[in-house]
Amino acid sequence: MTAANTADRMRDVVVVGGGLLGWSAAAALRRKIPALRVTVVPLPPPPDALAERISSTLPSIIEFHRDIGMSDGDAPLRANCSFRLGTEFQHWNGPLPSYVHAYDRYGQPFGTASFHVHWVRQAQAGPTPPFDHYSPAAAIARAGRFTLPETDPAHPLAHFEYGLALDPVAYPQMMRACALHLGAIERQGAVEGVRIDGETGFIAALALDDGSEVKADLFVDCTGPRALLRGELDQAFEDWSTWLPCDRLLLADAPPAADPSPLDRAIAHGAGWRWIAQSRSRTSHGFAYASAEISDDKAARTLRGHAAADPQAPIALRQGRRPQPWLRNCVALGDAATMVEPLEWTNLHLAHSAIDRLVAMMPDRDCAPVELWDYNRQCAAESDRVRDFLALHYAASNRDEPFWRQVRDIAPSESLAHTMRLFAERGRLPFYEDETFTRDSWLAVLLGQGVIPRRTDPLIDSVPPGQSEQAMAALRDGISRIVPALPTHAEFLNHMQRQAAR
Amino acid sequence: MAARRVVIVGGGTAGWMTAAALAKLLPGRCDVHLVESEAIGIVGVGEATLPHIRSFNEKLGIDEADFMAATRATFKLGIEFVDWGQIGDSYIHPFGTFGPGGGDVDFHQFWLRLRQQGINVPDLDRFSMACTMARMNRFALPSRDSRRLDSTFGYAYQFDATLYAPYLRKIAEGMGARRTEGRIVTVHRDGETGDVTSVQLESGEKIEGDLFVDCSGFVSLLLDKTLGVPFQDWSKWLLNDRATAMPCRTEGQVTPYTGVIAMPYGWRWRIPLQHRTGNGYVYSSQFLSDEDAAEALIGAVEGERIAEPRVLRFKAGRREKSWVGNCVGVGLASGFLEPLESTSIYLIQAAITALLELFPEQHISAVDRDEFNRLIDLEYDRIRDFLILHYHATKRSDTPYWDYVRTMDVPDSLAEKMDLFRRRGRVVKYREGVFLDASWVAVYLGQRVIPQGHDLRADAPSAESLVAGMQKLVGEIQGLSSGMEEHGAYLRRYCPMTEAA
Repeated sequence: MTAANTADRMRDVVVVGGGLLGWSAAAALRRKIPALRVTVVPLPPPPDALAERISSTLPSIIEFHRDIGMSDGDAPLRANCSFRLGTEFQHWNGPLPSYVHAYDRYGQPFGTASFHVHWVRQAQAGPTPPFDHYSPAAAIARAGRFTLPETDPAHPLAHFEYGLALDPVAYPQMMRACALHLGAIERQGAVEGVRIDGETGFIAALALDDGSEVKADLFVDCTGPRALLRGELDQAFEDWSTWLPCDRLLLADAPPAADPSPLDRAIAHGAGWRWIAQSRSRTSHGFAYASAEISDDKAARTLRGHAAADPQAPIALRQGRRPQPWLRNCVALGDAATMVEPLEWTNLHLAHSAIDRLVAMMPDRDCAPVELWDYNRQCAAESDRVRDFLALHYAASNRDEPFWRQVRDIAPSESLAHTMRLFAERGRLPFYEDETFTRDSWLAVLLGQGVIPRRTDPLIDSVPPGQSEQAMAALRDGISRIVPALPTHAEFLNHMQRQAAR
Repeated sequence: MAARRVVIVGGGTAGWMTAAALAKLLPGRCDVHLVESEAIGIVGVGEATLPHIRSFNEKLGIDEADFMAATRATFKLGIEFVDWGQIGDSYIHPFGTFGPGGGDVDFHQFWLRLRQQGINVPDLDRFSMACTMARMNRFALPSRDSRRLDSTFGYAYQFDATLYAPYLRKIAEGMGARRTEGRIVTVHRDGETGDVTSVQLESGEKIEGDLFVDCSGFVSLLLDKTLGVPFQDWSKWLLNDRATAMPCRTEGQVTPYTGVIAMPYGWRWRIPLQHRTGNGYVYSSQFLSDEDAAEALIGAVEGERIAEPRVLRFKAGRREKSWVGNCVGVGLASGFLEPLESTSIYLIQAAITALLELFPEQHISAVDRDEFNRLIDLEYDRIRDFLILHYHATKRSDTPYWDYVRTMDVPDSLAEKMDLFRRRGRVVKYREGVFLDASWVAVYLGQRVIPQGHDLRADAPSAESLVAGMQKLVGEIQGLSSGMEEHGAYLRRYCPMTEAA
């Protein structure tokens, strides 16, 4: 058994794509499975590869860095990255104030019920401070401050996580250096053709522009939506545009702010939404919209007006996913697998998650269908729930423009409908496998957009409302005492730099 | 808001667990009224439990030692499976992990890698605290510090179910639950909605309610007899439809684990309590007569018989819906899975937990009901696959019974899981299922489903460092376990039973 095994082992992997994603995949493969020979064909990423272009990332990136052996300080100190604590959503629901989705615990459970049940009961009884007033990270972010989470679980600042705002030049460079350091091999060239084995349907080799061929056991496609390799095997695609109607994206870069906010802004617009994400290296502006509702020219004028910078050419956005990101010996990562608008910044997260899965599930050279089946099943479950979470922002809005009314009139996916039904009834959230966003994240958006459950959970009966209010006031006080003492984001970054220089 | 009138039909374990939980945890929301008849015996299934029961008891404010003394309970660290993969085999399905836990590569992957390299590493159960303690007949409560090795096991109880119900009854009645003795002869329904409005006793007394919980056991008085909810029959995979049970006096050591011994036409349980040992033979009537089963059981058990063998009849499967109209089935009234993995009380608990979380208002919402049914179906379906695995993953061919189960078609959901494990030891992740990865690994490897490969990440460390780490681990587990008290001594000190049997 042992001998046969060794011959069947996966040996050669070729990663096509020279942006941060290709290099990240190569680094993880080398780090976790040193027996693999990993070659990167560094094609420049196309402008519509959002996992490459969107600089705001979710907290999962921190874990990804640790997994490939990087320290938490590497990205901010060596690649000019800054921190982000969440997103403020403005005008998504008419009369309600803006709300913050931070990567944090909202409130603290007490008595026999979770915190939001207490909040819901107060909200049903009358005006009450917004739900995000119970997240320390949301308060810190609104104040433009930053600090790292505390390690003592009893500390109010122990439960939040943070993401990074990436530098578009320094970060890919660092990942490349990291992958090369870990032993990945770089092979320059443009891909002229994909040769497919007539018998097995596997990719046999890539033809490069210098006339040479690159062979491998497994091909990893990081070439963006066009999916240069994976697209040769099939074109199956599951379209999400009924639920996520934006089909265009505009990006514009403005100079950085002196003290960049760790809180991104997502501002609803009559035909979509736009965003502002400040980082150390730039202020990114973007506009996601439905081309049927607003012309590219008008959208560009709108964005230019807000950004005071010229937008780049519009990106066509076809939201959805491949039913099988991994087919035979070719696996698609990032936009080649799933394309989704940057709302909630999941583009790179989904790609990282796929890399983790690829490494954990690495099959033999035969790429047995049963193993690919499990990989594809998990990818599907994960991206469908991300789709649901994004669609929730539209489904739970009460804006009046035709764009918003249309999306609201469409029945949500079965899983989102189930979630919203359960929540609207009694504030319960169902469990799904491979969920990206925590219960607190779902709560932040649902309650932030004014979805108030019809009734309260009976398990809260043993706590009288007065007692809830007392505990809730103590939480608010605790948060408001902590915030002013923290450094601003720029102060924190400067301090970090000084410490490292010592 | 007026409290809902909840009528629980049937006492026994399911009935009193439901009554105690509702009365204790939803005071003011419901009036609990339980109807039971002493003339109808209780099945008293599931003397062996899963660790989940501890959180149930905790929520009810039950003191562990007091409860154990009253139900003559012993500790349970897992189940020993004997003669399953092949006659002569034995493995323990432990409550807990293999290896120290944590890390993104499962411990068994490193173990597989070394074995596949031809390196002779100890059996997997030597790397489990629970297995080692069980084999050494030791017990201690797990540490709460997750960095410590002695935090890597869990435990449950083996207890006298006929004593658990009265114990819970005291709690329920203490919280205001009412009990009426009597046999139900008629169930009255609303002509328009079909909802059950009351149950009428032999005495003529009518008990009205808004919500009815069917805890009537196999009879399934409301779900089956009244509402005619169809039953999904799983007996083509789970053949056993009879059990013959017979308690004996405990002789020798009181083991901190349940014994499950494969037999020619089914399997036999051995559940040690403080005062006696429960025994039973679960079999298929297609292959074995009741008389032969009883004879085989008598021949197999140790210890003096306390009672004659008693036969139970059942069928594997579940109702297509557990909550229909205003009737909720809890326990055997909603489905049955043989107690091979001690899931009977767990399934009762799962239904109660879901009912508490989805407890209806005056008007029952379809959203709540659908969610309840979805959750319960999931529980049943996942356990079903896990049970079928035990039969299908065998090399036994000594009787037509084993030939059938070894070669039968299994559900696709299980076939895929087994295939995936055979490739490189991967377990399909179920974050909220009752049996976690280590359980599946224990049964697969214990029953000779041996992967051809392993997770390639397990190749990263050198063989020498892995072997050294494993030797150290076995030593530490051995050391910690041998420092613990003998199980029987622990029981005598911690929770001696209140009166002799």
